[in-house]
Amino acid sequence: MIAERPEHRPELVVDGYPRRRPRWTEIATSADHKDVGRVMIGAALGFLFIALVELLLMRLQLAVPENTMLTPVTFNRLLSLYGATAIFLFAIPLALGFFYYLAPLQAGARGTALPRVGQIGLWLYLAGATVLYSGFLFTPSEAGVNPLAPLSELAFLPNNGVDAWAAATGLATLGFVLLSVNLVATLHGLRAPGMAWRRLPVFAWAAGVCSWLMLFIGPVMLGAISMLLIDRNFDGIFFADGSGGSPLLWSHLSWIFFTGAYMLILIFALGALAEIVPVFSRRPLQGRRVVTGSLVAIAAIGTLAWMQNMLTAPIGIGWMYFAMLLSLALIVPFGLIFYNLISTMVGGALQMRAPLLFALGAVSAISIGLAAEIEHSMVAVAWRLHNTTDATAATHFALVGGAVFGGFAGLHYWFPKMTGRTMGETMARMSFWTMGLGTLVAFVPLFVAGGDHGEVVDAYKFFSGTGVSTLNLIATIGAFVLAIGILLTLVNAIFSRTGGSRAGHDQWGGDSLEWFALSPPEPHNFDVLPDVRSERPLRDIRVAIAHRDSPAEPEPAARETQPVA
Amino acid sequence: MTPHSPGTDQIDTLLWIGFVAATILIVAINGALIYAVRRYRGTRGSRASESVTGRRSQLRVGAVLTAFAAVVFVLSVIYTDKARETPTTEAAGLASASSEPLTISATGQQWLWRYDYPNEAFSYYKLVVPVDTTVQLDLVSTDVIHTWNVPALAGKRDAVPGKTNHVVFRADEEGVFEGDAATLSGQAYAPMRTAVEVVSPAKYQEFLKAQKADIQAAQDRVVGLIENGEVP
Repeated sequence: MIAERPEHRPELVVDGYPRRRPRWTEIATSADHKDVGRVMIGAALGFLFIALVELLLMRLQLAVPENTMLTPVTFNRLLSLYGATAIFLFAIPLALGFFYYLAPLQAGARGTALPRVGQIGLWLYLAGATVLYSGFLFTPSEAGVNPLAPLSELAFLPNNGVDAWAAATGLATLGFVLLSVNLVATLHGLRAPGMAWRRLPVFAWAAGVCSWLMLFIGPVMLGAISMLLIDRNFDGIFFADGSGGSPLLWSHLSWIFFTGAYMLILIFALGALAEIVPVFSRRPLQGRRVVTGSLVAIAAIGTLAWMQNMLTAPIGIGWMYFAMLLSLALIVPFGLIFYNLISTMVGGALQMRAPLLFALGAVSAISIGLAAEIEHSMVAVAWRLHNTTDATAATHFALVGGAVFGGFAGLHYWFPKMTGRTMGETMARMSFWTMGLGTLVAFVPLFVAGGDHGEVVDAYKFFSGTGVSTLNLIATIGAFVLAIGILLTLVNAIFSRTGGSRAGHDQWGGDSLEWFALSPPEPHNFDVLPDVRSERPLRDIRVAIAHRDSPAEPEPAARETQPVA
Repeated sequence: MTPHSPGTDQIDTLLWIGFVAATILIVAINGALIYAVRRYRGTRGSRASESVTGRRSQLRVGAVLTAFAAVVFVLSVIYTDKARETPTTEAAGLASASSEPLTISATGQQWLWRYDYPNEAFSYYKLVVPVDTTVQLDLVSTDVIHTWNVPALAGKRDAVPGKTNHVVFRADEEGVFEGDAATLSGQAYAPMRTAVEVVSPAKYQEFLKAQKADIQAAQDRVVGLIENGEVP
């Protein structure tokens, strides 16, 4: 089953003495990038659970036609909370948490450039989460996932729910920007000797691309949120029609952020897959430069296509074609990444362990979601499908594929590095197959309901006799199956943190520098750093050791230079 | 969903093109994935190849994808332009509207659509239009963003406060076509529905007259009540 692994482990092993386990206060107040990253990943997974509860409550309401389980106001509040939780408190922080933990390690840095800036970023994110959920005590926002002005203006929602939403997402976004500042500074300034950009692992590339992306889209959202708060609290007129303001301004600014965030989550997932697939195929990543270039292209082109969310708004047809051109251009970079991931597997010796399983699930789900998004960017088709449950399904396939399947692939892959323990394999398999089934059963019926019957999104009820009753019931059942699958992994992670089997320092035979550190890494990351001479420094060391131990044997894949371990 | 207007006919065609394009990509990617997993599952002793695909195959795949995207783009522009064309009123339609579209104003307001007809009659919820006649709806909103959405007759369009958006359609059959609003507009968003009743031109004229008379009668009654002091 398992292909031959190199006998020689290049890592330095100095765990002859018991390691002190840091108290949670020390982890929570530490500015070390690994502690900040761990807290972010943990918090993000916690909010995944909360988002699931909100999703299931809404799905229960939509299980039967004209249901009266939830009042319209409660449904709109759940919807708004779900959107903010899933995007601002789960998906983006999960991606940034992994980046923040791993990118400095992969770049061979002994820390980050601006640790306190990153730490304040974490705290701003947690402060945002606290504001959003203390809003629950009085009145949460009722304005939906993207609180489009003028509905989010004071005249239409006079309670303080939208203010809480704006403050919460604003604090979190500011935190993301600060974390990105630190990541950019670290990746540009603190790479190990020999770690040229062309040798930087793809996941660290993704970290750099996403951080730069956040530096562009984060301030746009912060500007929009500030304007909304000024409108609501200080008689502003930014989004008010009739006094020189424009409701469409909010649409443009917020969609720039949301579209960019969508790309950020997908870039994170694809970056993680580009690490996992080669390791478990025992084969080098194909087209490394094409993949990294494609990630940059996705960030730039994808974000500039923000108007594909506004194809029914009164904007010029030229802008619609511009948005469509950019959206369709995304077929090329995404397609090239899928091609290279799959051709990495072709000719390999696949080890079907949990990280690879989730990675394959992510490729499959993202491909379905993005292919469906193609229809939504074709202008005339968008006039039919815009804001139908077909859009819900496409977005969820892409983002559940990216943030949940991709995130879980990363979680299973890097869990041994972060905790020194391995996650339970049986439970991971059960979770994967349950999640795969759940995703299909939950979202394929929504494709049909939206595409064939035109069921609209965000509605707190649907009417009987519109042909979507059965489809919605199936979707609700699927959502529960998906939730069970996700819960299995969350439980697995909690119990494996202390009860998992002990992991080695290079658990999977990885090629990048994080596997050179101990599991979990020391606060200073590395005692010594290898001289990086290629994009696969650990493999170079393995080859060098094998060569040293049996000089008679010819080198399997000779390189011109030998790194010094 | 059966299209009942020339514009929606084009949308329907393009929807199928998009569906085929999406299906091709989904089948290609997932098929390759399943093939790779089944064929290259590692067993004891199996060795992975260290070969790296060359620049040429990358370029080839890139070129195929670019061509695919270009074809989808061109087809989308062609069919979108066709869907945007203003159809002309047919012989069976309203005679006076043959040169330019019959213009009706549609106002989105929380949470009901109001339609104002050329003769100053108006109706709520239900829009009555003559068959085979080109109708242009001028979409405006008095409060938040609403989306006018009757998929059988036309594509969705947003009614944004301060701006006017347009929907053009020519219903080819008498009947009632329903639709939901499609942008979250507050508490009663889900029941904010609308219906378009397509009738013969003669019936349409009758409706306009009757509606205007009804409105006038209601106004007279209210004015009378106020004058008699029954309503303060």
